[in-house]
Amino acid sequence: MWKEVRDRETGTLLPLSLVRRLRSRRLAALQLSNRKEIVSPHHGAVNSLQVDLTEGRYLLSGASDGSAAVYDIQHTTDYDGGLIAKHKNLFVVDKQHNHGHKFAISTAIWYPIDTGLFITGSFDHHVKVWDTNMIQVVMDFKMPGKVYGTAMSSIATAHMLIATGSADVQVRLCDIASGAFTHTLSGHRDGVMSLEWSTSSEWILMTGGCDGAIRFWDIRRAGCFCVLDQSRSQLGRRPPFSQGTPKRDFIASTVSTGKSSFEKTPVSQKRMPVGNGKKQLTTSRKNQNVSGGPSTQRLHPGMSSSHNRATAHYGAVTGLRATSDGMYLLSSGSDSRLRLWDIESGCNTLVNFEAMRLQTSKAIQLAAFQDSSLVFVPSMASVKAYDMWSGTNLGTFRGHYELVNCCYFNLQDQELYTGSNDRQILVWSPSIPAVTVMEEDDKKGQTLSTDRDNWSD
Amino acid sequence: MHIIFFLSHVLLSFLILYKVSVVLVLFPPTCDSQQVAIHIVATQYVNRTGFMGSLKKEKVLRVFKLSTGQDDHAIMFMEDYLKQMASSVKRFEKEKQHDLEVFEWFKTYVMESKLDVCIAHQELCSLLSHGGEVTDRHVTLLISAGLLTRQLIDPNMYWFAIPNIGSILKGLSQGRKELLSLLNRRKYKEMPLAPLEKKRLRLSPLDMRFHLRDLIGSGHLKSLQTPAGIIVRVAKD
Repeated sequence: MWKEVRDRETGTLLPLSLVRRLRSRRLAALQLSNRKEIVSPHHGAVNSLQVDLTEGRYLLSGASDGSAAVYDIQHTTDYDGGLIAKHKNLFVVDKQHNHGHKFAISTAIWYPIDTGLFITGSFDHHVKVWDTNMIQVVMDFKMPGKVYGTAMSSIATAHMLIATGSADVQVRLCDIASGAFTHTLSGHRDGVMSLEWSTSSEWILMTGGCDGAIRFWDIRRAGCFCVLDQSRSQLGRRPPFSQGTPKRDFIASTVSTGKSSFEKTPVSQKRMPVGNGKKQLTTSRKNQNVSGGPSTQRLHPGMSSSHNRATAHYGAVTGLRATSDGMYLLSSGSDSRLRLWDIESGCNTLVNFEAMRLQTSKAIQLAAFQDSSLVFVPSMASVKAYDMWSGTNLGTFRGHYELVNCCYFNLQDQELYTGSNDRQILVWSPSIPAVTVMEEDDKKGQTLSTDRDNWSD
Repeated sequence: MHIIFFLSHVLLSFLILYKVSVVLVLFPPTCDSQQVAIHIVATQYVNRTGFMGSLKKEKVLRVFKLSTGQDDHAIMFMEDYLKQMASSVKRFEKEKQHDLEVFEWFKTYVMESKLDVCIAHQELCSLLSHGGEVTDRHVTLLISAGLLTRQLIDPNMYWFAIPNIGSILKGLSQGRKELLSLLNRRKYKEMPLAPLEKKRLRLSPLDMRFHLRDLIGSGHLKSLQTPAGIIVRVAKD
């Protein structure tokens, strides 16, 4: 490693490639950490994990016994035998708390701006906003059904809406500023299990439902503007030029196609100011084989109707994750398939992720990193890592005794946290130590001296 | 019924080069003596490269979704499919049914324009109406000829289908089950590849090599290099 640092000094190695090289070397050596352990206070399955986005220091976990806990993953609470650092929880909120959740917590997320607030959603139909320092409930939203997922946009500057998906078919957006529901998004035919805000626009929300559909909503307008269809596919990363040629050659131009299985407006509409968007929709379509909508109902050209039954998966959509550059969306379904979608064109990139089995009843939390081309998927009792573009299995992390529900990858420290039904949160870190052995000598001095006499000829 | 391996070298080498994940079953035409010649290539589903996409557009190939599994697709040369369709229509003509012109309409309007694997009821009727008045009886005829199949998930959508492949599909799914049970019955659920390839499957007319590649590609089996050669094992989890 020091040779590479020297190369960067002299200029033979670019700084970015040094970073990439080190990171990929550490990622390749990921295994169950023998230096760090998180002591889990939960008495139920761990359903949700998230490290805060501001500092990357606090881990929030939500469990099936109605408890949520916060851990400091950078500073330890005590050492066990001087070698393994144990991270105990800083606090726990559970059923004994006077305003705590009564049933399982399915999702716990940090307020994206700072760690002063966190939001929990539970099967007792409530979404609660908590003040972290006072450990009190600040706001409470009652939903019509069990809450399966919540999400807040990390790039939002104009709104602070919590998108909540529940067993009810409508997605509701709760506003922390006013304490009321601002939007109700209808279109799904069954409960909504997974939600994800777009990483490129603070107004775009992507939801995956139990009916297998993934819908894109622009919350400034009514209705969803895109439904992902698994049969619409493109060739890998970039759509080729030939796809732009209209299919009018094959169909006589007098034919008006009836209901089509996909309707999509081009992305350029997103970048335009809202007022001009509607005028330019009909002229700037990429795929020309769609007319104004079904014959039975006049449809606004920018909206996908609820009659659009295109499915992204053959079962429920259990997990959604967008890459940080906002170009690709990873979705997992209860049909045990993982699909990578190109957000701009709305097409399935047909990347074949090698065989995996995914649990069907609960939402799972995926992790996806486009610059390192890594995808982490909780697959039954293990977590599998895949290469994003070739779909090859790069490694399987087996350590849990029961089904793994959630995984969170901390890109800063290259550490993976996984939570499962066996109530444990495991830490997976690179086996190559980040600090050299020399710096740790003073801490481990005592244990080394005891071993010094254990030598023999 | 015996299996004849038949495929141009270009297509075969191309398909092996661009790794594909799902079994593709390529159908050359049925001969009069009822021999179905099948070339089986078990590779990943390839729509990724421009070659396949452009072949589809030029109507050299046609892709169908099979009912045997979730991701099973069949690729067939267009002329072979038309021959297969013609022989199925001939059977109908022998029985002297009415409304046989729907097959002509299907061939000219629907086959030429719709290159997908499925079609909606509305669109089907509107495309067929270029030939004449479309009634439900026409759609029923198409389904009974085996050219269309109703989707289970959506009552208004149909899959395109290949007529008279029932026995092959049955052989495909039963052969898979048989091979998996053969390996599952063993003590360590594995077997060396060389003697395994020589075995003959009782229930499937398709080759053992085909089923092996199919199951390895879909992840049910995995092959490992050992000092004693390649070993095929049932994949757990």
